Amino acid sequence: MAKKHTNHTDLKEKPIPEGRHLLEVDNLKMFFHTEDGIVHAVNGVSYTLDRGETLGVVGESGSGKSVTAMTIMGLIDMPPGKIEGGHVYYRGESLLDMTEEQMQHIRGNDIAMIFQDPMTSLNPVYKIGHQVGEGLRLHRGYSKKEALQRATELLDLVGIPEPEKRVNEYPHQFSGGMRQRAMIAMALSCDPDILIADEPTTALDVTIQAQIIELMQEMQEKNGNAIIMITHDLGVVADMADKIMVMYAGRPVEFGTADEIFYESRHPYTWGLIRSIPEQAIDEKKPLTPIHGNPPSLVNLPKGCPFAPRCPYAVDICHEQEPVHITTETGHYSACHFADDPEFLKFAPDTSRSRGKIATGTPETIQTKPTGGEA
Amino acid sequence: MASNTTGAPLLKVEHLTKEFPAEAGMLAGRFSKRVVSAVNDVSFEIHAGETFGLVGESGCGKSTTGRTIMRLTNPTAGKVFFEGKDVAQMNKHELKDLRREMQFIFQDPYASLNPRMTIGEIISEPMTIHGVGTKEERMKTVRELLDVVGLNPEHINRYPHEFSGGQRQRIGIARAFALHPKLIICDEPVSALDVSIQAQVLNLLKDLQKQFGTAYLFIAHDLSVVQHISDRVAVMYLGKMVELSDWKTLYTEPHHPYTQSLLSAVPVPDPDVQKSRNRIILAGDPPSPLDPPSGCRFHTRCPIAQARCSQEQPEFREIKPGHFCACHCAAPFPIKESHIDL
Repeated sequence: MAKKHTNHTDLKEKPIPEGRHLLEVDNLKMFFHTEDGIVHAVNGVSYTLDRGETLGVVGESGSGKSVTAMTIMGLIDMPPGKIEGGHVYYRGESLLDMTEEQMQHIRGNDIAMIFQDPMTSLNPVYKIGHQVGEGLRLHRGYSKKEALQRATELLDLVGIPEPEKRVNEYPHQFSGGMRQRAMIAMALSCDPDILIADEPTTALDVTIQAQIIELMQEMQEKNGNAIIMITHDLGVVADMADKIMVMYAGRPVEFGTADEIFYESRHPYTWGLIRSIPEQAIDEKKPLTPIHGNPPSLVNLPKGCPFAPRCPYAVDICHEQEPVHITTETGHYSACHFADDPEFLKFAPDTSRSRGKIATGTPETIQTKPTGGEA
Repeated sequence: MASNTTGAPLLKVEHLTKEFPAEAGMLAGRFSKRVVSAVNDVSFEIHAGETFGLVGESGCGKSTTGRTIMRLTNPTAGKVFFEGKDVAQMNKHELKDLRREMQFIFQDPYASLNPRMTIGEIISEPMTIHGVGTKEERMKTVRELLDVVGLNPEHINRYPHEFSGGQRQRIGIARAFALHPKLIICDEPVSALDVSIQAQVLNLLKDLQKQFGTAYLFIAHDLSVVQHISDRVAVMYLGKMVELSDWKTLYTEPHHPYTQSLLSAVPVPDPDVQKSRNRIILAGDPPSPLDPPSGCRFHTRCPIAQARCSQEQPEFREIKPGHFCACHCAAPFPIKESHIDL
């Protein structure tokens, strides 16, 4: 991609300092000061991310997964928001200490984001091409014509049929899946280091969801960017995430590789999330195992472990003392008092591995021919 | 399940077709013949106490089917019989009686509850409209219903905004059960909820069905949710029913390529299974119902389409007893081998 006259040096060109990671989030705390009290929206989130990696952030509504991402992007209004502690380092530079002007250059250029609802995140009065090319004009100094040309190429890249025609249409002329494709084209226009996707497929049908996930993985293979995938559905991140962070009430309650979260989980909240997904084609219809009750208010958090009121295994200590992270050698941690008790871990849900029913053979993926563009 | 599939069906839908004029306004339909073919020649039956799942992507006509059955819109052609009576021929009074037996649960728990009414008023409204009991009796029923759906009966005077999404959906369910209807049309009742809360609501619907013997028409875009609750499942594509069978057959031996691709698109919370299973990823979006493809409506996205598919409309035929499929080629895809974990 030809780089034109910009005053800034791109942070993404800077090498990552020895021993550091692409993105490091360290004990991040973001609280909102409201009339009702202090909302502990993000409370001690830590993780690292490298290029080419995918981090899945999983949790229910209100668990702080989106606020964490918005804090990293500097998109939280302060006040009412206030960073109460922690650091975010991108290629060794502290993002929280940057000026708004510096952040503006990072947003879209180094770290890009796509949102759940592609209708409200696209501007209805501008043509798709204008919006997809906006980052290029802003960050790369492309002319209008060049930006439109590149936007057409990008639409083609994300699989939108007839990009020359589509580039001149408005968002309402696109279907939900097409809009999300356009959002991805926009997010990837400046070749960012990190793509944050906040529930990108929740508003879409399952067949379209499969297309969008496929597209994000394809683009990642091509560009080598990192992905942070935020979702409430563990199924969505099962085959795309390298690492997974499970959040509850603003805190990370479990963190590990995808294998560790799905097959060696050590937190009863993660078990609850896995159990509540309806299984396909089971012999007998067992009742689903939901997580009872509702997530707690982030203003008045219960004493002790925040999950204790909904935890089927909670004992006295859980209601009194907040658990610390119990970490294994591989860095897999769990915020549960009993995470290293082998007897307790026997309550973990069955998986294909524990049942010894791992499918063998090479899977077959059929991609149908792309003739199905809507009218 | 306590469903009785012999005997006379509770609901019988015959060749139901619903078209909407493509242009809005006074002269719509007079000069222009363009129509949106939302539902096209759909037939099925629902028996007392049974759950019938109806699945398909946005715009496939599943919600329109539900709304037409309740006569919230009038059908263009075809017939709907509820307990043997033709819904389309009913007058105002008969319709009111019909709606006592047939209730609706909506998708959006935020939009379907009046924010200015208390929970007590919302749940007792159907009883008020149909003149059931005195005010005291109604409030007593509301308290019982709140208890049944797992809400605190003391919250009877609270307003909807004081409840979370899952709790609101419980309120909508209590309202639907207030008159003990024989059939409830559930239009995507869990799509707006978190996975963990979805399971709560699905279990509640099953428990209530056991208790009251209500039949459900359960509409959803997600096969995994429908499979869990349904006795029989039908799949719709672009206004047409493409496959119908009992739930187990549909999930273990899906015949229509569209059903197969829907099944393979459901995310499985198990990376090993997810990585090893066969998948069909459909290209593009469903075509517009304004101008549906010729022949089989699915042929533009079908992985096994042949020349005849674009010319000849496939018949919705019974391939095995109780298993219907509308496909010229209808053969199970090898997807079965690796992804189903029996």
